[in-house]
Amino acid sequence: MNTYIQFAVIKFRNKMAYRFDYLLGILNTLLSFVVYWSIYKALYDGASAVDGVTFSMVTTNFIISLGLSSAFSKNEMFLQDKIKQGTIANELLKPVNFKLRMLFEDIGEGAFSVVFNFLPTVVIAAFFAELSAPSSAVNIFLCLISVVLGYIVLWQISFIVQSWSFWLFSVWGLVTIKNVIINILAGAYIPMWFMPDWLKNAIRFTPFDSIYFTPVQLYLGELQGWEILINFARQILWIVILYGIGELCWRKGIKRLVVQGG
Amino acid sequence: MSETIIDVNNLCKTFKIHKRSSGFKGAVKNIFYPTYEYKKAVSNVSFHIKEGEMVGFIGPNGAGKSTTVKMLSGILYPDSGDITVAGYIPHKQRKEYVANIGVVFGQKSQISWDLSPLDSYEVIRHIYKIPENKYKENLERFTQLLDMSQFINQPVRQLSLGQRMRADIAAALLHSPKIVFFDEPTIGIDVVGKDKIRKFIKTLNQTDNITMIFTTHDMQDIEKTCERLIIIDDGQKLYDGSLENVKKGYVSSRIIEAEFESLPIQLDLQNAEVTDVDNNILKKIISFNADEVSVNEIMTELMNTHNIKDISIKEPEIDAIIRDIYEGKIVMR
Amino acid sequence: MKDIISLFFAYAKSGLKSRFQYKLDAIVVIFAVFLREAGGIIAMYLALLKFDTINNWNIDELLFLFSLIFITYGIFIVFFMALRDFSDWIKHGDFDRVMVRPRGLLTQLVLCGADWLAAFGHGTLGIILFIVSANKVGIQWDFGMAVYYVVIVISGVLIQGAVFLIFSAVSFYVVETNSLKEIFYWNMRKFAIYPLSIYHKFIQSILIFVVPFAFVNYFPAQFFLRKADMAAYPDWVMYISPIVGIVLYIIAYSFWKFSLRYYKSTGN
Repeated sequence: MNTYIQFAVIKFRNKMAYRFDYLLGILNTLLSFVVYWSIYKALYDGASAVDGVTFSMVTTNFIISLGLSSAFSKNEMFLQDKIKQGTIANELLKPVNFKLRMLFEDIGEGAFSVVFNFLPTVVIAAFFAELSAPSSAVNIFLCLISVVLGYIVLWQISFIVQSWSFWLFSVWGLVTIKNVIINILAGAYIPMWFMPDWLKNAIRFTPFDSIYFTPVQLYLGELQGWEILINFARQILWIVILYGIGELCWRKGIKRLVVQGG
Repeated sequence: MSETIIDVNNLCKTFKIHKRSSGFKGAVKNIFYPTYEYKKAVSNVSFHIKEGEMVGFIGPNGAGKSTTVKMLSGILYPDSGDITVAGYIPHKQRKEYVANIGVVFGQKSQISWDLSPLDSYEVIRHIYKIPENKYKENLERFTQLLDMSQFINQPVRQLSLGQRMRADIAAALLHSPKIVFFDEPTIGIDVVGKDKIRKFIKTLNQTDNITMIFTTHDMQDIEKTCERLIIIDDGQKLYDGSLENVKKGYVSSRIIEAEFESLPIQLDLQNAEVTDVDNNILKKIISFNADEVSVNEIMTELMNTHNIKDISIKEPEIDAIIRDIYEGKIVMR
Repeated sequence: MKDIISLFFAYAKSGLKSRFQYKLDAIVVIFAVFLREAGGIIAMYLALLKFDTINNWNIDELLFLFSLIFITYGIFIVFFMALRDFSDWIKHGDFDRVMVRPRGLLTQLVLCGADWLAAFGHGTLGIILFIVSANKVGIQWDFGMAVYYVVIVISGVLIQGAVFLIFSAVSFYVVETNSLKEIFYWNMRKFAIYPLSIYHKFIQSILIFVVPFAFVNYFPAQFFLRKADMAAYPDWVMYISPIVGIVLYIIAYSFWKFSLRYYKSTGN
């Protein structure tokens, strides 16, 4: 396990080396937030609440979901490049689990993004946007746990789509389509509260609301008692299911690679 | 006699290189107080090339040969000096001038990866406004000379490096240029492929009277194709003359390769230089000038003082000659 | 002129052929670009099911506004892809090749580089939005209106082309310009999609004076729609998009011409 944590730490450090890219990353995240903040400011048009949702809840939703979505964006052509260049074979020969290594490297990068991209964005946004205070210290803690779980859900979906590069000429199109679907259905482009009921109900059967919306609800204290447990359980359930699918794709892909010789 | 077609006088080019300081402070400093380093890529180079000549440009990496070729082909502005090629000043009359030249960049293909050479030629025909009949004639001729009929309809990504380079050379010649620049045309290609390319270039030079400039690392390229050689190092012209002369100038130099029975060996020979061989500590290379000391003398001295296992006399290779010229060991007259 | 057009078609033929080598992949990419760009619009459509209007704009009027940014980008990318990716062209030595061909440098760059897949993705989206909205927003379409629409589309293409021409000229001094493009084009474009009036005055000024996206869609759309939020700006800005396009392009072109001699050919 120590080895894998080391992968995460190295990735974290590497990210720190590119400072200008880093400042640019904050700007990107911040400006994406400003667009949606401006849109909803105009939509609210001074109203204090719509359907019981206050404007500060909306901005909080956007800073968490859109902010994390932007901060978590990464190179999703990674696996494809490894496969197309044929270096995947060498990776598989190394005495580390390649998939686990990928996960931990990405977690390193994700942790970097949360600390050095997402948090600064929140701090800057707090100067001009009306953000809700967390409902309690416990809620912040719960929110952080669900962010990690949400990230793993997000990662698994990305891994599944990336693993299709074993079969396809390029997965760029599918990765892009996947990201649009996640951004809409996970509430990064439109708060879950304002979606039509049929859509909201449909989303309950997908992993999408467990990526950003569960953390949002925990932060705002919208979940109580056993609801909290259910939502954590849903996150974990999706991680297990998606892990199974990802593992299946990965194994079949490797088999195909071995049979066809890259 | 044929006329001078390329006329270069006192050509100079200096590059300003942004010196980057590292670290965050450095990054800020880079923005507000940039510091520069000046590198003379080409200094005071002059040469004249006649129509139909074939000239090899050689020099180590970063010697300035590419920069010179880029100025000759109108890509770079010279800082000072004059260039006239086929009556044009390349960087000032770029558009009119480049219709007369062809350029082959060995490291940068001009035909699309996903298309067949033929598809790319079609586009080139439009760019150069090549008349239909001339295009057909050239295409047929080059397809035959370069032996391209098998792969001219195949996507480039399926071709070998040698085939790709042949297709690239044909692409640079379709508009019947008067002058062709080859920038490392054989880089990375296997021996057979190299040979085909060299033969084609040589043939074309003789039959079509095309002036050719050839930059390369590979001495074989020069030996097989060029009669005239220009050696450039550190931005300066070191030698300009016939290939024969370089060889002749070195004809008096001799190399003896000797393998000794045992170590330690204290070789202390007058008028000769001893160098080690990488993979065998018992082997030494002894080089000397036959005008100063005879082979016999060296041999006798070696035999008398050491136990020799094996010994042989070698002709100097052109590669070695050039290396010595770079390193300043011999000065060409 | 005839010669230029035939050159364009020669390039287009080979460009399309190479882009559609893998047909299924090409179609997926086009659809992906389409959907990526439509993402914000879908979200806005869903939001307006709840809120009805934004700054008094209803969904059809918004779609009409959106159509301009996508149609202009779809055309822009047919002609300006080489300039969009110009730092890569310099880095990989492709510009050297352009310089040794007997045609104008910009002629070659503009004609040769079409990102057809992006063009189809953005273009289809723009056209669909236009078709869906054009008859629902109360425009009395006649010949004059149609001509002005074409004129503002061309202006919008020119404005974006000029912005990239400036970035390309900067590449002659500092090769890497990706951050510059990220800040001044891609991020500004995120803002430019929606009505200008929803933003803080500072952002509005940037979109009017620095990277004049306001003249690509918001002001010209106001010429057709005359929404109440136009009261905050002088009327004549609805008419000057063509002038902005031409003037900006001339400035960009002069800067490019001037900068050309600093080209260092760092390729290889």
